[in-house]
Amino acid sequence: MKRPVPVFSQVDSRQRQFEALTRAHAGDLYRFAYWLCGQDALAQDLVQETLLRAWKNLDALREAEAAKPWLLTILRREHARLHERRRFDTTELDEDLAEDAAWASPERHGDAAQLREAMHKLPHKYREPLLLQVLGGMSCEEIAAELGQQPGAVMTQLFRARQKLKAILHGERPEVQHGLS
Amino acid sequence: MDCLEFRRRLGAEPHGRDPQMLAHREACPACTAAWEKAQRFERDLHGALDVPLPEGLAERVLLAQATGERQRQVRRRRMALGLAASLLIALGGGGILWRQAQAHTLPALAVAHMPGEIGALALTRPLAPAPVSAVFAERHAALRGPLPIDTTYVHACDVGPYRTVHLVSHPDGQPVVVLYVPTKQTSARRDFQREGWLGREVPLEHGTLVMLTNRGDRRPFDAVEQGWRVAIDGLGDNRVSEF
Repeated sequence: MKRPVPVFSQVDSRQRQFEALTRAHAGDLYRFAYWLCGQDALAQDLVQETLLRAWKNLDALREAEAAKPWLLTILRREHARLHERRRFDTTELDEDLAEDAAWASPERHGDAAQLREAMHKLPHKYREPLLLQVLGGMSCEEIAAELGQQPGAVMTQLFRARQKLKAILHGERPEVQHGLS
Repeated sequence: MDCLEFRRRLGAEPHGRDPQMLAHREACPACTAAWEKAQRFERDLHGALDVPLPEGLAERVLLAQATGERQRQVRRRRMALGLAASLLIALGGGGILWRQAQAHTLPALAVAHMPGEIGALALTRPLAPAPVSAVFAERHAALRGPLPIDTTYVHACDVGPYRTVHLVSHPDGQPVVVLYVPTKQTSARRDFQREGWLGREVPLEHGTLVMLTNRGDRRPFDAVEQGWRVAIDGLGDNRVSEF
């Protein structure tokens, strides 16, 4: 005879699933959020809001493999919502970095630091698909589905994103700073 | 695939494993060099994006989630307790109102009237019709038929707000209290039991008859009811004129 599962056991399994989800993806989410908004504190807020929203809708997650793209989708929405609410400060990268504890490391100097600066200066429409590809591990088709665009358009954006990054590294003036512009 | 297409695809998907791309790379030294350069750039990019994580980030999120969840549980528990308390108050209030309503029904008032009149049950000598008729007249109640011959007590009593004729009948030697309430109309005939008394409430044409006994036997009620129904409402064409 099949025995009923106690309620506390179901609650525990949900809690365990959430803890595993948080520990597995908080880092990836933070990096994605950080490069999306360009601010450490805001990125941490975004990660927290994303995971708390995920907790409320945890039953919608059916497969472990789908967790990361699912969380990235939530994070992008939270970012857009926050941006609508607060109208981000779109200050220049250098002003942000001067106060950013995440950058207080020896890596600040050298090629990585230049690349980071260039990444901050990359316009949002190029930066977001590039982040979804490099940090999210998504294919062009997956990025297209996530952004609601055609795969061909995403390929073009990714190509131009790298071109522009290289151009910035070679000293060309940036076009747009952080935000959703 | 030509070099232009290869470079375009390489710029969009440096880690692409498309067979056509791989074949062109194998065949074209310039594109092989471009591919190697692109891989280095990707490694650098990945390394640059790999910013240090804030210490305790996951733990802080878990703490916020657990705290929020606990607060929700406390709120839910308080709400449940509030609902339970409201329900209890509503039930208690309803019970009090029901009791108050019950205390003012005719059966309840009739039983409450009994302690002061209990001595009347011991009277056994039948009364003449005249004093009985006099009390009915005092209550402005009509008598349309012959009175029962086993009436041993009659009195004009106030039962709660009702002005009644209080009688005792003795069918088969068992005293049955009869209260006639001329001004009270009830909708249905029904038996009841309260505080050791068995009773019956009977609607008549212009009032209500209540019978009570403390002897534990309702059987005399039928004969008493019939006798007083004939006396008060009359019997078909044999009805007498109103008092």
